[in-house]
Amino acid sequence: MSDFSEELKGPVTDDEQVETSVLSGAGMHFPWLQTCIETVAIGGKRKKAFAQTTSACLSFIEEALLKHQWQQAAEYMYSYFQTLEDSDTYKRQAAPEIIWKLGSEILFYHPKSNVETFNTFADRMKNIGIMNYLKISLQHALYLLHHGMLEDAKRNLSEAETWRHGEKTSSREILINLIQAYKGLLQYYTWSKKKRELSELDKDDYAYSAVAQDVFNHSWKTSVNISALIKIPGVWDPFVKSYVEMLEFYGDRDGAQEVLTNYAYDEKFPSNPNAHIYLYNFLKRQKAPRSKLISVLKILYQIVPSHKLMLEFHTLLRKSEKEEHHKLGLEVLFGVLDFAGCTKNITAWKYLAKYLKKTLMGNHLVWVQEEWNSRKNWWPSFHFSYFWAKSDWKEDTALACEKAFVAGLLLGKGCRYFRYILKQDHQILGKKIKRMKRSVKKYSIVNPRL
Amino acid sequence: MATQISRGLWGFVLFFVFVVFFFFFFFQMESCALAQDGVQWHDLSSLLTSASQEPWRPLPASSLSRWPVCCLVLVPKMDFPSSLRPTLFMTGPLGLNDVSDLSFMCSWQNTLTLPEAQPQNLKNGALHVTKDLLWEPATPGPLPMLPPLVDPWEPGLTAQDLLFRGGYRYRRRPRVVLDVTEQISRFLWDHGDIAFAPLGKLMLENFKLVGAGSCTKKTTVVNVKKLLQDLGGHQPWGCPWAYLSNRQRRFSILGGPILGTSVASHLAELLHEELVLRWEQLLLDEACTGGALAWVPGRTPQFGQLVYPAGGALDRLHFQEVVLAPVDNPQFLGKPGRIQLQGPVRQVVTGTVQGETLLAVRSDYHCAVWKFGKQWQPALLQAMQVDKGATGISLSPHLPGELAICSRSGAVCLWSPENGLQQVYKDPETLVFRDSSSWRWADFTAHPRVLTVGDRTGVKMIDTQGPPGCGLLLFRVGAEASCQKGERVLLTQYLRQSSPECLPPTLHLVCTQFSLYLVDERLPLVPMLKWNHSLPSPILLAQLLPPPRPSCVQPLLLGCQAGQLQLLHLAGEGVSAPRLAGPPQSLPSRTDSLPAFPLLEPKIQWRLQERLKAPTIGLATVVPPLPSASTPGLVVFQLSEAGDVFYQQLRPQANSSPRRDARPPGNTRPDCHAPTASWTPQDTAGCSQWLKALLKVPLAPPVWTAPTFNHHHPLGSIELQREEGAVQQLGVLREAMAQGRLLLQRDLGSLPMAEPPPAPESGPADELSERLGEAWVGRGAVWWERRQQARTSGPKRQPRRPKRRTQLSGTFSFSGHADPSDGTSPPHSPEGPSAGALPQSPMTSPSQELTPDAWAQGIPSERQQTLRDYMAKVPLQRDTPGHAGTPPSSQTSSTRATRSRQHTPILSGSKPPRKKPRMGF
Repeated sequence: MSDFSEELKGPVTDDEQVETSVLSGAGMHFPWLQTCIETVAIGGKRKKAFAQTTSACLSFIEEALLKHQWQQAAEYMYSYFQTLEDSDTYKRQAAPEIIWKLGSEILFYHPKSNVETFNTFADRMKNIGIMNYLKISLQHALYLLHHGMLEDAKRNLSEAETWRHGEKTSSREILINLIQAYKGLLQYYTWSKKKRELSELDKDDYAYSAVAQDVFNHSWKTSVNISALIKIPGVWDPFVKSYVEMLEFYGDRDGAQEVLTNYAYDEKFPSNPNAHIYLYNFLKRQKAPRSKLISVLKILYQIVPSHKLMLEFHTLLRKSEKEEHHKLGLEVLFGVLDFAGCTKNITAWKYLAKYLKKTLMGNHLVWVQEEWNSRKNWWPSFHFSYFWAKSDWKEDTALACEKAFVAGLLLGKGCRYFRYILKQDHQILGKKIKRMKRSVKKYSIVNPRL
Repeated sequence: MATQISRGLWGFVLFFVFVVFFFFFFFQMESCALAQDGVQWHDLSSLLTSASQEPWRPLPASSLSRWPVCCLVLVPKMDFPSSLRPTLFMTGPLGLNDVSDLSFMCSWQNTLTLPEAQPQNLKNGALHVTKDLLWEPATPGPLPMLPPLVDPWEPGLTAQDLLFRGGYRYRRRPRVVLDVTEQISRFLWDHGDIAFAPLGKLMLENFKLVGAGSCTKKTTVVNVKKLLQDLGGHQPWGCPWAYLSNRQRRFSILGGPILGTSVASHLAELLHEELVLRWEQLLLDEACTGGALAWVPGRTPQFGQLVYPAGGALDRLHFQEVVLAPVDNPQFLGKPGRIQLQGPVRQVVTGTVQGETLLAVRSDYHCAVWKFGKQWQPALLQAMQVDKGATGISLSPHLPGELAICSRSGAVCLWSPENGLQQVYKDPETLVFRDSSSWRWADFTAHPRVLTVGDRTGVKMIDTQGPPGCGLLLFRVGAEASCQKGERVLLTQYLRQSSPECLPPTLHLVCTQFSLYLVDERLPLVPMLKWNHSLPSPILLAQLLPPPRPSCVQPLLLGCQAGQLQLLHLAGEGVSAPRLAGPPQSLPSRTDSLPAFPLLEPKIQWRLQERLKAPTIGLATVVPPLPSASTPGLVVFQLSEAGDVFYQQLRPQANSSPRRDARPPGNTRPDCHAPTASWTPQDTAGCSQWLKALLKVPLAPPVWTAPTFNHHHPLGSIELQREEGAVQQLGVLREAMAQGRLLLQRDLGSLPMAEPPPAPESGPADELSERLGEAWVGRGAVWWERRQQARTSGPKRQPRRPKRRTQLSGTFSFSGHADPSDGTSPPHSPEGPSAGALPQSPMTSPSQELTPDAWAQGIPSERQQTLRDYMAKVPLQRDTPGHAGTPPSSQTSSTRATRSRQHTPILSGSKPPRKKPRMGF
């Protein structure tokens, strides 16, 4: 266990020292502590009138926002700007951020606000809270993007990209990378639009070459913009996706694969299932050998055993020649059906029923027993209870049949689920049920071969 | 030097107090522990001693057959979002990652999603933000559901009681100073007998203070009885008349170092520890995490049962049947069924799995699970004892009857009807970094065999079938989720899906003091959604509600300890990542319904306010059935610590359909929504009825009352005794005053200490009213006659004018009506009972003599004349001097002159002999 605590960093100020000594280093911070103490110690009196009015105003704004009274909030906001003149430096510095947060929210939801108003507000806030220039720019761009104004957003981001103030810190560098990546994403949008235009145009069209030129010109800019960011650990799904698509378009398959492999296998990155899915999809598009696909999906199976690609994985494994893959195929199916969200997945049940029969016919009883051992104490009540038999039959008879077959194989013909389905007579499924009964008798793992 | 000594002595007295206090504390705690051990919940028969065996009636289903009971089970979507929101991932301790936190600091940002490859989709409205998704409360505030319980309720400790007042200095990180001294002094005042008696009894035997045998017994042995006697007249700390006897002094010097230091410091530590504990509890009461109110659905959607703890100690489990009418307010049916438990109920959980409805209850040291039978009557399945204290209980949404319990020792146990209790996890340490809190939480995941284990520092997924000790961190308080400094997990919950849902069943909610996180168990450590809730008190209750319509926007209800409720709208349809579908909304809290109550006098109003402000400890929501296709509403039930159940009906606003956000905002949007809800007469009538019932509830007896020092009180009793003739005490009093020392109780002999404080002094029986009364019965003339006679027959008083008075008009008027004006000056005879026999007190005391002038001087002479005439008409003269000695009459006399100095007559009455020479000038 790591015993680092957050108090380790930074010089210990007078305040902190006292705080830790008083409450035996609980370390927990309570946002409501300050008001709690203030009401007791000073009865809310000794505060300056200025501080009183601003804090009251802030609470009014927050209340109005929570009640969706945008107009009222906007009116209070008008008065709240006085906090920018607070004599308390700490509060004064924090003020632009709060104003931006509240103001942008009001303008985002206010029925009478429009993009121009928001633009004006954002531009002004950028210069008031100079320290937040980059963040506000980024959010402003997102707002514009959301409203479909790609060009404005791009211009905004370009401005932010070249902004310089004060010393360069690592966090700011990351922010600039993020801004650049967003810019790249915007460029990708225009690129993909042009690409679609290109595909619609005839090759002999006079405009074709111009558009094609445009498309090709974009590529290098975008790659520079995005590639810097996706080296930093994080979740960069949209960026990676668009970047790979562009690389693929220009035929740089190795580059694309490298990007995806890095994104999926770098230790510093979170274990993002999407990274593996992108890689798998890419390899599938490239018609990579089956073993490679299986190795990618094997990792995905370890991360998300419930993913819908697992059924695809199962078919891959089934088609494979290796014995161990066949065994894994069974494991994958059991794994999918473990999850509460997949209990009604009829494909999975169908696969399992078929594959179980096949495995048992292939004399691999041990595999089934291995899988079944860890599940036999909870699958019966989880899948094969009387309640489910009734409700499954009512909702989806096909599903009920598949499940009943699996139940029969795993639990024997005495299983309640199996018996219930058997008792129902169904004209169409009658034959199938009979066949099922025979197979269960023959292959059930309970009392095998007796 | 002298002051130093006395300081040391006072120090000893405090030490003595500490010593005694310590003994008390120790015994108190011992007995607590014993009592705790004595509780046995295994005895099932004792568990089910229902106070009143209310029958669980079968529900009348005949009239309600028109509501179809639909049981729609849709296939949950397990699709993983195809593209996640960009986030920076940084590992490390708290407060490190400020970049991604700040770049997503706006709540509206959470509603945005990055478009997929086709930017044109934006224009076509592929992404919609429900801008005005709003639930409209039917009333401006919640209404009381059930009549208040008969048990009195007290708000308990507040910050005022614990914190040191004054000496406040603003700090960015607030500093807490606990007021230990006040607590000690309060305790001593409150339980003086307990505080001082045990040690005194222990030491009642003579004991030796000096070990050496050189001295005789007389000087080295102190009898504590005497010491205690000395302490009998002990004055409070800081009193200038504090008195120390020789014996005490000696004892303090000799016994101080022996008895004092270690014990006192130990006691101080204990007390401080206790106060810190209380203070932390006040800041965050983790006991009721999860909520103690639950809704058990009945056989038809109209009926159901509310399960909640009741009683003063919250130890009675009530099962209250409730009818949900489609249009009307929910109503309760009959009396609740009750089960008496042996500890306060902290958490109540219900769940319906595969048609079986179960109820799990957590107390401080016990857990129990019931199953609802055919008649909707609970039958106990199992009761369990948790030695270290249970902190959380949860029912499995997958397997019927399965239950996870976690205890303060860090163990997580899984109970199922088949396998019984088995421990699946144990780790006394916290997950991510060391934290002092022993709070633990356990919940289920989408995989029936995987549990989440949470503590203040993170949440971990563990496989109950895997090898012990392994697991995967799902959430970590650190830079991964860009947590702030001092951030801790307050609540973690698996967002189980009980209805046709739109969100994947893999989401977990993690709440901290600052933010709310949605974590998908398929992508651990990286929150899918982070939102700054900025709520003023800890979130301890959360519920994911079914979507109001198949629009794939699910409301998430959050409940604060202080009563605030917030509603978030979560969307995550198809393969898009979960996000907020609109701005969060606050719901009215119980204090908002204060206007529904009738106007009250301040004291009752205050009491009502206190009651409404009681912390929320339970939250339950129901979707009442609706006849037709109209949008379903929502009923939110709240349980307060006082045991009140309130309800609030909510309806989705008419125009809140999720619109496609095709156009720029602000085209034809309606203006701001004005709150339209108002109180109906029915509501207010219900409220006043509830209030009436509340006022009948007796107030809890005060635990402690502040000592009041009322010098009227002892002096009044002195006077009473004087009436009886016990003059010798006056001598004592006089002596004490002469010496300037304090009058001790023993000086006065047996005082009636238990006497109630003097009632407000009745207004002097003024003669005007007397005269009017006489006139009313028609004897006015007779009365006047009698008055005149009494006056003439009384001691002849020289109509003496002060020499200073030279104004003619004044002289004239005075000489004309000498009697009345003179009468105002001599208040009473200064003598005791014998004063009636002494007619020689015509003179007034100098101060009193001034009074007639005083009122006359500021008035113009013409007005003075009329005033005097008026004075003459109104015979302010009181009765004869013979009665002057009795207190009531002495006060009567001073109607005008000595009103403001009501106590003076008593004091002046005690020194007549010295006055005489001055009067005879």
